Order: sequence, then C-alpha cells, then structure tokens
Amino acid sequence: MTRKLIDAENLGQWVNELIVSGRRVIAPVCENGMTVFKPISRAGAMPAPYNYGKTDLSFKEWLFPKTEPILHYRFDNGDVLLDDPEVEAVETVAFFLRPCDAAALSVLDEVFGRDYDDAFYTVRRRHLTVVGLSCIEPQPECFCPAVGLSPTSEKGSDILLTPLEGRFLVEALTEKGRLLVDEHANLFTDAHGLTKEQVTTQAMTKITRKEPLVGANGGSPYLPFDSEAWEDLARKCLGCGVCAYVCPTCHCFDIVDEATAFSGCRCRNWDSCAFSLFTLHASGHNPRPTQAHRYRQRVMHKFCYFLQTFGQNMCVGCGRCALRCPVNLDIYEVVRALTGR
Amino acid sequence: MFALVGAGKPAPTKTQIADRKGWRPMPRERTKQNWEPKIIAFVCNWCTYVGADAAGTQRMRYAPNVRIIRLPCTGRIDPLFIVKAFEQGADGVIVSGCHPGDCHYVSGNLHARRRFTVFLKLMEFLGLDLHRLSFAWVSATEGAKWVQIVNEVTQQIRQIGPAHRWGEPMNGMRDEGWGMRETAVATEQAPSAPNPQWEARLRELARRLLENGEVGVVVGYATGSLGETTTPAFITKPEDADRLVFNQRCVNNLSVYLTNKMVTKLGKVGIVAKGCDVKSIVGLIQENQVNRGEVIIIGVVCNGVVVNGRLAKKCYACTVRVPHLYDHLVGDAKAPQQPVAKADPRDGEIAQLEQMTPPQRWNYWMAQFERCIRCYACRAVCPLCYCDPCVTDRSRPQWVLTSAHPQGNLAWNIVRAMHLAGRCIGCDECMRVCPFHIRLDLLNRKLATEIKTAFGYEPGIDPTVWPPLTTFRPDDKGEFIR
Repeated sequence: MTRKLIDAENLGQWVNELIVSGRRVIAPVCENGMTVFKPISRAGAMPAPYNYGKTDLSFKEWLFPKTEPILHYRFDNGDVLLDDPEVEAVETVAFFLRPCDAAALSVLDEVFGRDYDDAFYTVRRRHLTVVGLSCIEPQPECFCPAVGLSPTSEKGSDILLTPLEGRFLVEALTEKGRLLVDEHANLFTDAHGLTKEQVTTQAMTKITRKEPLVGANGGSPYLPFDSEAWEDLARKCLGCGVCAYVCPTCHCFDIVDEATAFSGCRCRNWDSCAFSLFTLHASGHNPRPTQAHRYRQRVMHKFCYFLQTFGQNMCVGCGRCALRCPVNLDIYEVVRALTGR
Repeated sequence: MFALVGAGKPAPTKTQIADRKGWRPMPRERTKQNWEPKIIAFVCNWCTYVGADAAGTQRMRYAPNVRIIRLPCTGRIDPLFIVKAFEQGADGVIVSGCHPGDCHYVSGNLHARRRFTVFLKLMEFLGLDLHRLSFAWVSATEGAKWVQIVNEVTQQIRQIGPAHRWGEPMNGMRDEGWGMRETAVATEQAPSAPNPQWEARLRELARRLLENGEVGVVVGYATGSLGETTTPAFITKPEDADRLVFNQRCVNNLSVYLTNKMVTKLGKVGIVAKGCDVKSIVGLIQENQVNRGEVIIIGVVCNGVVVNGRLAKKCYACTVRVPHLYDHLVGDAKAPQQPVAKADPRDGEIAQLEQMTPPQRWNYWMAQFERCIRCYACRAVCPLCYCDPCVTDRSRPQWVLTSAHPQGNLAWNIVRAMHLAGRCIGCDECMRVCPFHIRLDLLNRKLATEIKTAFGYEPGIDPTVWPPLTTFRPDDKGEFIR
C-alpha cells in the first residue's frame, strides 16, 4: 500500500487534472436540497468533504441504473431485427464514496460478476476507480461497526482518503489506485508514517449503533426463519420499495418489454422484494403472501442467505433504509429483536 | 400476428445484426418538412362516431390526420388513454361524445365532463400546450361540426408543430425551475408540545379500551429508533399501552392501516387520529373501505406536526385541529388553536408556478419527475391508495410504464394525481416520504383547489356525500368542450 498526503488545494487540482485527462469524474453534488452522485466538470462542484453525511441515493445507480435498455427490437418486413445497446465504456473516477458505499461495490461485484459476467455492470465496473472518503461525522442512522465495517474501512475502495487536520491521508489500496496517484505524483507529499487510526477511534465513538449483528465478524448466519416475531416486527411495513431502492447493495431487477406495434425495447428496472408483485405467480398464487413474508425475505437475504452463498455480509450498515422508511422500520432494531436483544 | 413474424425466413446473421448497430427505436426525427400532424380521436360509439360516419356518407372532405378510436361512451375514456396516445407520439388528442342529455347510457358523458374538467386543469398545471388537447360534443347528425373540428384542430396543431418527446424537457432545457423559491412562510416556529397530561390520558384510554375488549388493537404512535422520530405502534395488550406517545412528531397518517389485513385481523381497531387523519378515515368510510361501526376513532387535538425540523406546511391553515369526527377525544376541545397563518404557503408556490409560461412549467415538472425512482412510497403511505392491484401493477395491458424513465415517470405521476383528485384530503404523507422531495403536495393541492372551485366540494368532511368525480350535476360547467 502506498501512503501519501495531499492538501485540499491539491486535491481539487488532482480532480481537475483527472477531468482534463478525459476521465469522467463522479462526485457528491448538492442540488435541490439533496446530495447525489453526479458527473462534475470542475472540482468546485463537490461539497466540502467534511460536511456531508451521505448521499441520498447510493452510488449503485452509476453501475446498475434504475432503468436501462438491454435490447432493442423492431419488426421489419416479416423479420425481427435485434440491436444491442452500447454500454458506455468511459474511464470513470468516483470520488468521496463513504466506506459503506464502497464496501457495497464488492457485494455487487459478486452478484454481477461471479459466475456470469453481466455485460452492462462489468463494463462500467472495469472502467471505474473508486476514491473513498473516511467518515468523520457518522450520522444517527449509521451502524457499519455492527456489520463488521468501520467509518474508515478500506473494502471496495481503490484509494481511501482520510481527513487529517486540513489535509488528507491518501492510501492507494489497489493497482488501479496506485496508478492514479503515481500519474499525478507531484501533487502528493510523503505521509511520514501518519496513519488513520486516531480518526477511526474518534469516529467510532460517535456511532451509537455498533452491537455486532448476526453474521458480522465471522459469526454464524442464523436468524429464526419460523419465528412468529416476524409478523409483529413487520406489521407496520407498508410494502413500498424505498428501502431497496436507496440500499447500496440491493440488486434485484425486473425485465419488461416496452413496445409499440413496430418496435420495442427490453428494459431492466430496479425491483424490490417488498412488492407483492415480486413473487406473484401467473396462477395467482403468491409464495410470499403477506408483508411479513416479504420483509422476512429482505432481512434473511441481507443477513443469512447472501453470507452463506458469497461469504460476506450483504448489509453495509449505511442506515439509509431506516432513515428513509416512511414508518421507521429499522433493520438494525429488527435484527436485534430477532436475536433476543 | 407478431408471433408469426419472420417465420420461415432465416434468422438475421450476426453481421446483419451488427450492421444495424446504431439503430434506435425512437420515432424518426420529425421535421416541419416531412411532418404531418398525427391526431388521435377518442369518440363515443353512439354520437360522434356516427357523426363522423355521416360526414363520410355525405362526401364531406376533411383533414386525413385523425385516427379514430371508437369507445362505447366518453364515460369509458380514461385519462390514461390520452396519456398513452401522447406517449406513443400523438401530436394531438380529440375527445368527443354525445351532447349533455343525449348519452346512450344516461349520464356517461356527464361523468366524463367532470373528469375532463379536472384532467385539463392538471395538464395545464403540468404545462402541456392545451392546443394539443380538444374536447367536443358532436351528435350523430353533426357531420359538418365534426369536419369543422377536425380541420380546426389539425390546422392548430400544424401551426404549433410536432409534439416534443413526451415526458422530457422542452428545448433541451433541464432543471429549470426546480429551484423555485419556496414561499416564505409566516413563521418558522415549531409548534408547542401538547400538554403531557394528554399523553397520559391517551394511554389510560387505550388501556381501558383493550381491557374492556372494546378493541382488539390500538393503532398509535411509539418512540422511533432515530433521533426525534415516532413510529406506528400496534398495542394489543393493556400493559403495553404505556408505549404510546403523542407529541408534535406524530406525523404519520395511521389510517393507512385501516385497510391493512395484518392489522385488522387483530380485531376491532382503535385508531389514534389527528384532524387531518380523521379526514382520510371519512374518505375510507365514504368509499366503503371502512365500516364506521368497526373502528373506534381516538381523536387527538393537534397543535401541528414537525417535518424536517419545521412546522409542516399542511398545518399552517389547518381548520381541524380539533377532529371533526371521533368516538373519544384526547385534548382540550374548548381551547382550539388558531391557524398560525391565514393562507396555506403552498398556494403562493402554486401561484408562482402558474405565472410561468407553459414550457417553463413543463420543464419544472419534468425535472421533478425525472428523479422519481418508482419506489411507490407515495402510493404505499396514502390511506386512499388502497386498490389491490393498483392500475400500475396491471400488465395486461400495461397502461403505466413501470420503467423509471421520463415517459414512465410522467404517466405514473399523472395517474397518481388523477386517481386522488377529489379524494385527497391533503395529509401530505406522499410528499413527506418521497425520497426525492417531488412536490406531490402542489399537485394534490392544485387539484383540490380546482375541485372546490368547480364543484364546491371539500373532501374528508361529510362521509355521506358522493366524491365529486363519481357523480355529476346536469348544470356542471364545461366551457372547454366545443
């Protein structure tokens, strides 16, 4: 790992140089009262790194958009003509992902790339370099320590920036990251053995929700599937998709054809296990008939099934689902209640 | 028919497919040179269709730009049909049927008149160029009137030119107006907390109702998990009644649970309801979703609620601080709080939008809808969105595109607003839960205002009257219909 230091001015300069070099830079941008990831044309559009909690929507929309054409077709003189949409292969650097959002990318990588390369996802992913930013002001909804991460964890980042008294500690964690630092070596100074340990400790003390949940830190991924508690816990769930859509790791999608009489487009859209339509069979039978069944699926998938299959926890503890839930159905509290705490 | 397409022919080779790269399913770029207006007419079977036929048999000539779609009655014409026509590239739409009093089904056209009064106001507010949307009464003998209308509409649309792509901003302008300044509100003060004695009274009442077996469950508020929040609570045991809270953070409209089977299976429901929540309970009673005898309404006197640290906008001009319908009342009914402001702050914002030009307004709304992710939190949280399944979830045919692209998002936001017109009681829950703060409250309030003006109706007050779009008056106005 390469450790360097960069000051705020040079950081802006670095971003600008990356843009000038033809790369697309995506960073958190404040607009219309929201913080969202957007391509920027100059460093000034970025919020000051210290003063934003987390973006309203996670970074996943840039790898796995909310809607995307995967196939175009048209009828032509008795023929069906097919056309593959082009996937933009732009060299992209994503700045200031919080460690939770960066860790989420390694979850998505497993889903979209383990045994089958999802062309749309992997092309974008291959061209993406992630510059993470350690959290120094965790929010009330955060619970990353409870899932084995921390406000400064390195998982998923190619480079991790950690604010250190007006400067940033730059840790190049992967080959991709090292290249980006080496390319602009004149902007960085030597780290002189500085580490982010103190920042980690300070940030950790600000998080109130850090009791390890099931499956964290190598624990057994077990939740009581048959428990009657599910119904009481999920009774207030209204069955909207907001938790899944703001979640950085939820990746379920729906495939729909949108067509006129002459041509059409096959789209891949975000979907959510909270919708009753998600599992409804053509026969009318629904194997997950109530919201309790659907919410159980969400929790079990996050904390048990995914861990059993891929060996890592699917929840990254960003807390967006709890924050955005219309009825404050809080996954951290639910998992704790299920394990008798 | 399409299943047979290509049968017997060799499939295109990979090269052939590759050669066609770059093709897009978008309509061909239409210019003023190669363009002819494409107009869809939805007409009733008994009058206008026969009228159009009469024009033909009399050898009258008129513009060939109209494609007629025949339906049994204008009462059958859902605004979604019109949305679909525009979505698929129509430059204009004509809706035409029998004159009032002539309806083959007695009153279908009179229902339609009310519906289109509201729909037109909605489309005007969204910034659609109203030259593209025409309504007419054409009887079976009025072939000449039909000819005149088609010619006029075609001429009109020829002048304004091709419709731009549905759901997308005009002139490539984006985000214009999103930053519309919110009207300065009269006071930024948070409302005072209710006297804690009322919370104790509420707990006591809930305990008693559960002990007596009067209710199986009390739906109320408990302390939430994040900071100063509350969360819905379902109290089934008397000893749990102390979990109930009531304060200015009790924002949720709990009446959404009255149609939730996981709640109603617990027994008769006692529900904690603020004045605005009672309005939606009235709506549910009105629409036969809730039986008045099967719900115990625990009305709470409310000083206003806090959303994002500020007094909610709906509370400024609230007139139901003391609920107007209840079985038990908690709070001081004799000392009702005065509204903090005479006017609702949203009215100023609506006026600001109305002063914009239609294209500006269109761009404002398209920028708003662009961020929609189709999580349907607005639908889930709405007490009056109880349809199962929702029209959006019906796929044969798929009236509302489910993709979160501009066309799908516009269709969804139009259908949501239309289906709540005359029913929405303005609890603003949809606006509160929208992860992208889409101004659904402005749409709802605009339509509520129009309905009050046109039909003198206010929702959520009287459970015995019919909602305005399910009924009609013979003397309803309809100047927009030729």
